[in-house]
Amino acid sequence: MTISPDPAAARIGATRWVTLLAVAALIVLPWLEADRFVLHVFSLIAIASIVAMGLQLLLGCSGQLSIGQAAFYGIGAYTSALLTTKLGLPFPLALLGAGIVAAVASLLMVPITRLTGAYLAVATLGFSIIVYLVIKNEEWLTGGSYGFISIPRAALFGFVLRDPMYSYYVNVGVAAIVYLTFVRIQGSRFGRAVNAIREDPDAARACGLRVTLLKSECFVIAAFVAGLAGSLYAHEVRYLAPNDFTFWKSIEILIMVVIGGVGSLAGAILGAAVVVGLPEFLRGIGDYRMLVFGAILIATMLFGEGGLAAICTTLGRRLGGLVTRLTPKPAGTNESVQ
Amino acid sequence: MGSLGASQFVDLLVGGIAVGCVYSLVALGFAMIMRATSIIHFAQGELMMLGAMCGLTSLWLLPVLPLILVVAVGMVSSGIIAVMMELFVYRTLRRRRVPIMNIITATVGMSILCINAARIIWGSEPLRFPELFATTAYEFGGVRISPQLFWIMVMAVAIMGGLQLFLKLTRSGIAMQAVAQDPEAAQLMGANLTRMMAYTFAISGMMAGAAGIMLGSMFFAFFEMGFITGLKAFVAATLGGLGSIAGAMLGGILFGLIETFSTVFLSSAYKDAIGMILLIAILLVLPSGLVGLWQRRR
Amino acid sequence: MRTGSAHEPWLLEARSLTRRFGGLLAVDGVDLSVGRGSVHGLIGPNGAGKTTLLNLVAGVYGVSSGTLHFGARDITRYSTAKRARAGIRRTFQNLKLFGEMTALENVALGLHADTCSGFFDAVLGTPRHRREERDIRDRSMEALRFVGLGGIAAMRAGALAYGHRRLLEIARAIVARPALLLLDEPAAGLNVNEAAHVSELIARIRDAGTTVILVEHHMDVVMRVSDEITVLNYGRRLAHGTPTQIQEDPDVIEAYLGRSLENESAQA
Repeated sequence: MTISPDPAAARIGATRWVTLLAVAALIVLPWLEADRFVLHVFSLIAIASIVAMGLQLLLGCSGQLSIGQAAFYGIGAYTSALLTTKLGLPFPLALLGAGIVAAVASLLMVPITRLTGAYLAVATLGFSIIVYLVIKNEEWLTGGSYGFISIPRAALFGFVLRDPMYSYYVNVGVAAIVYLTFVRIQGSRFGRAVNAIREDPDAARACGLRVTLLKSECFVIAAFVAGLAGSLYAHEVRYLAPNDFTFWKSIEILIMVVIGGVGSLAGAILGAAVVVGLPEFLRGIGDYRMLVFGAILIATMLFGEGGLAAICTTLGRRLGGLVTRLTPKPAGTNESVQ
Repeated sequence: MGSLGASQFVDLLVGGIAVGCVYSLVALGFAMIMRATSIIHFAQGELMMLGAMCGLTSLWLLPVLPLILVVAVGMVSSGIIAVMMELFVYRTLRRRRVPIMNIITATVGMSILCINAARIIWGSEPLRFPELFATTAYEFGGVRISPQLFWIMVMAVAIMGGLQLFLKLTRSGIAMQAVAQDPEAAQLMGANLTRMMAYTFAISGMMAGAAGIMLGSMFFAFFEMGFITGLKAFVAATLGGLGSIAGAMLGGILFGLIETFSTVFLSSAYKDAIGMILLIAILLVLPSGLVGLWQRRR
Repeated sequence: MRTGSAHEPWLLEARSLTRRFGGLLAVDGVDLSVGRGSVHGLIGPNGAGKTTLLNLVAGVYGVSSGTLHFGARDITRYSTAKRARAGIRRTFQNLKLFGEMTALENVALGLHADTCSGFFDAVLGTPRHRREERDIRDRSMEALRFVGLGGIAAMRAGALAYGHRRLLEIARAIVARPALLLLDEPAAGLNVNEAAHVSELIARIRDAGTTVILVEHHMDVVMRVSDEITVLNYGRRLAHGTPTQIQEDPDVIEAYLGRSLENESAQA
């Protein structure tokens, strides 16, 4: 039980049904859809949404614009690849290891969390470029531009997940766990503190909050989550190249969050679906992909940052209003405030 | 590695200053826009790239075009594009009183738009500039300088000097400075805010366009050249002191020298990393840049 | 007027506080001694340096010279957050609420430093987390009722009326029962009735054991509730004493340009 019965909670009542429906659909999908390619794309969407949710925590909750998440995504991917191939560790350990190594690497960013706004953004971008250069140049470790090949599939307790359907469940499962985790912290002391430092850092300091420490915590969490996603990615596509982890990847992740709606977890997932899914399902768009996304980014900034999540919520509210008006109401419904 | 011969030193020095001039021009744009609008214009590097591309295209169409005109084409096209960015997107965002982070995100979007538009129009292969300069080296008292680097430095200094004259001596220039310091007061004094903002972007674009031609002729032009160079120019502007015009010029040259001389000690694969590390170091240790340091000493 | 215990008469002691901004001396060698359990008013004409002085005490600005002691501790170098954790809380002249959160959540943040459940506690739902959330909710509701806002706990802070927002900021500042409360023009923009409510609230806060430093322009509020008043002018201390002494001080009257001070105190 939390102390945060905010107006949004009323929304959650309705979206609880939507969420349940979505979850049910995701579980049932592999049985309905025989095309393994489609499942593969959904896996990629799930993986991307994990990184996007991490950025959402940074940007939407604590207000820190980071355009360097691809660095931790890459660190996680290569770490997991190394742990499974060179050290022969089982997949679950490699997954965890990837997250931990990425989180530790993010401690290098702790001094940067002192910065704010665009300065922070540029510093994270610089960091991401440095990591990319290391990945590209240290061939003995990463295979450099030749790539890292022959990464084994994910395997649980010795059972190799050969069918894309099984890895689909793993990827979507991890994404669901990350989502639930972030939802849980919203109404907690930690969640309140993080939102406070976004809304007004000075007021937060006046309440005794250690702003830089909290900002750093968010960075570490986001990095851990990106590392997990990197590991899942490595074992899904089983081949890594430095070009997968350039600053363009970081910007793609930002696009996912912005398109989906800054501040909305579900938006991060929607944004990931659009950014990853659209090019796969609309092959023609291929070359023009980034052009379109750039334009959408500008348009979203011009016309309201609620993004897809806001559009869905408004639609949902209108639909809900319509439904309420059409259904007869029981007598004496009273919304208690506290 | 090892000790530097005298001529090698001169080569590095000249090369460093020349590329530094390029950084200075782009950094100037950052500084001017920052002063006027408080935003970091992520698409600044793309203005440089588009200037290079347009200049190159003009050379394809008219191979006999003299250097001055090529530079002019670059400057004018980038200037126009910059003004369009301002009038159609940035001004609307400011009018809506959108939070600053959103405007900056929009400039990121603009950058992506420009890069990909350029890739579609001009392709993804690096494009060489035809020979614009004489090939035999100039000699100044025993020191040999390539004409290309020489003229680039001369042009850059001329442009920056012209900018300073414009800002200090003309009505528009003075009005622009006033708007940068206090938009409301400037408006009360009769300055047309919209026009001044447009001028600011136009000039920043023109600087970047000139830089694009110079950089393109030194190396080559390709659709992504603006991104990393823009980032480095931002480092240079921050090094000098963000928001300071003198700082941008100083920071650019200094950064060019640092980057060029560091290739002596470091593998060229990590050359770009120098800039990034320097950036993070400056932001953490000396955020107000060298100019800020100088002002504090007074 | 209570001035505190025998071994530490002053809760807050500022000696020769000075703050420069470039060439401007905003605060010039000000001494300030605030006794425990008192309300200390800080007044002066516009630009006298009152808010700057308050910000120096709060730690928003570092001192250019001088020292600041809080109880036995030298807090001159403490950051704002560290001072807040040590027991100095404040409100802001321009209201700094967390507009998107509810009133209850705003007040709850005042208790952040008193509690410690973190990320993992929240995710796992540990007993400590549940216990602290319950505790925070109860104490926050208590603070809201204390200032008179018990009924609007679930409303979004940004949607509240101006007067309620002022009270909410006070609730957030007092929920942790700070030893020292800095109020920066709490009655600004309030009408006569609301201002009277604030005066009465400040008195109740003092009676509950919190020491208060009050910067205010509403003379009736200051004169009614202060135990001691310091007057600043041009960054320097002009006078200090009881409200009556201040009202009769010729220097103070002159600083405020004549009879306005006498007239206001006559109405109070």
